[in-house]
Amino acid sequence: MALPPHISAGPAGGSSRTPVYALVGNPNCGKSTLFNALTGLKQKVGNYPGVTVEKKVGTAYSQHGQPMTVIDLPGAYSLAARSPDEAVTRDVLLGRRSDTAQPDRILCIVDATNLERNLYLVHQILDLGRPVILVVNMMDLAAQAGLSLRLSQLENQLGIPVIPCEAANGRGIIELRLAMSRPDLPLSRHAWAVPAPIAPAIAEIQASLISHDHKGPLIARAEALLLLTDQDSVRVAGSTPLHPRTAEILRTWEKRWNDEGTDWAGSLVNSRYDAIGRLAAEVVLQSGTSGPTTSDKIDAVATHPLWGWLVLGAVMLLLFLSIFTLAEYPMNWIDAHVAALANAVKGAMAPGDLRDLITDGAIAGVGGVIIFLPQILILFFFIGLLESTGYMARAAFIMDRLMSRVGLNGKSFIPLLSSYACAIPGIMATRTIEDSKDRLVTILVAPLMSCSARLPVYLLMIAALVPGDRVPLLTKVGIMLLMYALGTVGAFGFAWLFKRTLLKGAPPLMIMELPPYRLPRLRDVALHMIERAWIFLRRAGTVILGISIVLWFLTAYPKAPADATPAQQLAQSFAGRAGHLLEPAIKPLGFDWQIGIGLITSFAAREVFVSTMGVVFNTESSDKDTTPLRKAMLAARWPDGRMLFTPLTCITLMIFYVFAMQCMSTIAVVKRETNGWKWPIFQTAYMTGTAWILSLVVYQAGRGLGF
Amino acid sequence: MNAETQTLAALAVVAIAAVWLVRRTLAKRKNPGCGGDCGCPTGEFKAKLQRNKAD
Repeated sequence: MALPPHISAGPAGGSSRTPVYALVGNPNCGKSTLFNALTGLKQKVGNYPGVTVEKKVGTAYSQHGQPMTVIDLPGAYSLAARSPDEAVTRDVLLGRRSDTAQPDRILCIVDATNLERNLYLVHQILDLGRPVILVVNMMDLAAQAGLSLRLSQLENQLGIPVIPCEAANGRGIIELRLAMSRPDLPLSRHAWAVPAPIAPAIAEIQASLISHDHKGPLIARAEALLLLTDQDSVRVAGSTPLHPRTAEILRTWEKRWNDEGTDWAGSLVNSRYDAIGRLAAEVVLQSGTSGPTTSDKIDAVATHPLWGWLVLGAVMLLLFLSIFTLAEYPMNWIDAHVAALANAVKGAMAPGDLRDLITDGAIAGVGGVIIFLPQILILFFFIGLLESTGYMARAAFIMDRLMSRVGLNGKSFIPLLSSYACAIPGIMATRTIEDSKDRLVTILVAPLMSCSARLPVYLLMIAALVPGDRVPLLTKVGIMLLMYALGTVGAFGFAWLFKRTLLKGAPPLMIMELPPYRLPRLRDVALHMIERAWIFLRRAGTVILGISIVLWFLTAYPKAPADATPAQQLAQSFAGRAGHLLEPAIKPLGFDWQIGIGLITSFAAREVFVSTMGVVFNTESSDKDTTPLRKAMLAARWPDGRMLFTPLTCITLMIFYVFAMQCMSTIAVVKRETNGWKWPIFQTAYMTGTAWILSLVVYQAGRGLGF
Repeated sequence: MNAETQTLAALAVVAIAAVWLVRRTLAKRKNPGCGGDCGCPTGEFKAKLQRNKAD
């Protein structure tokens, strides 16, 4: 098939409107890195496939300062979508999305080290009949691998601009901007032979797409080709369905070929591969013999059935050790300054409700949470390093054997791993999973992975459980690792259960590309850390501040008689009454009504538990001095004088938080991703039920054993 | 600031915070709870895309 070799004026050629570029390519070929380089944005990048699962939009500027919209699309190996993220890419390119204009031009990025495989998608995109610029990224890595690319030959064969690039260090970006600024981008003149028996079908479907679906002639031809190889494709919400007449023509042809035994899809794919093979043979030259690369040598250890596990364990141990040791000084600094600020306010203002609101509500609530910022930053620094180097994909490979035993798809690893940071991006990352049942199982168990919002709760409980320096650091690390392991084991256990009951399916297979190891890009790691810190601080300054203020009111009103003690005031307040109402259900777990208040408020977000404890226990601090939260909690007693926060209670509370679904935002995202309330309600019920039962078992067993 | 004025000011702050929290919870958002990571386009970009589509 040959496209007409005419010149496209495009929207940059005289039109006042902003041209829209779509950025497409295979997974992990550097799309988001190029997107960030062009737009100056800070979208997340990582050295593993599947980082981008939704389209992202930014503005790049031509050499004359004219704006150009760039849409970064999820990675895809082909336009025949097998997963929801690939379906987004296909539908945007074909103009099927009602919420996104069809791009005027396409930036197609390929990995220079793997050109032949990447050209399959390029070949399909050229069929779309839109002006395309081909960006050949990672030229440095190709040279290191002994590959020589004849890009002028590629440019001649395809008839489109081909720009060599190293997006990670900015090489080739100026040339790319110049190409993007051209008003006269040529259309491709690539040619390939469509098998003769299929040609009439393509012509008929194309004609129907033009007349009934109102498509342009070239895009209609490309879509006709795609429809014939895409019969099992994923459909996503927001896509415009085919006109019934077009769908009928398609079904008729498929039936005819099925009856004749014609493998129409296979012959189309093969003829495309033949064309690509010929092209790659002309363009790619391999010099010298290719021995094992550095990545291969590292992988001999990192993906070894035994050593691989040891490396993974060592990495995790190092991560948690760092969280405890490196964060200690900045945490103490924040703690001291929060207390000093509260005491300064107390010293400066006359006693009264406003002063109490500021010190016992806002400062105690927000201060109790922001103290954990250094540990959050360290966690994300390590996650960023692991992503940037490419180790994450190896961790997925190591875990795949274990995950397949419980029926989880190996592709579930990245979503589950993302859930250690926050379940929301983790759940969104499940869009890379092709099988809908596997995807749903992953969504259902993802919130069991201990997210960063649980970290403040664990750290507070560990501080209460093992105060001071009496206990070795490794014990604290061990408890923390245990909680993370418990969540992971819980996720695997429930996945195993769901795959054998509610969501039975065939054993999953994983095919995952292991990217080459790269030196970490500290800028990306730092940007990711800053982004997470900003999200954390924004939540502390908005939702947590708001809840702390309202919570202060609920603990301060209605007012007790003037001679009442702070404990009596809290007990008869609105919050106290709510806590007392909940107490019969949580007393068997070793929790009193004060902890109950925390359980209620932290349904908004888990870290609100810490701010709630700050507000609840600071009501008992003196007028002149604010007691550190940990000390106040350790001083808390049951009415009969027993300690409230015993080691057993702390462990039980941590176990409750490992399993309980205490996050409204996650529920909202699960509702969106599963298109209904059925699964989020089920998820909340099973997680909270498990949390309650396990907490009960642990507490009562602990009591029985004399703890 | 005397105690009564402080009480009034505190109650006003609480009322504002409560109204803000309720409105935030009830507000219908197209892409709820993205967690800041999803990269959903801003209103400005959405408007630009709509304009382009209309053209």
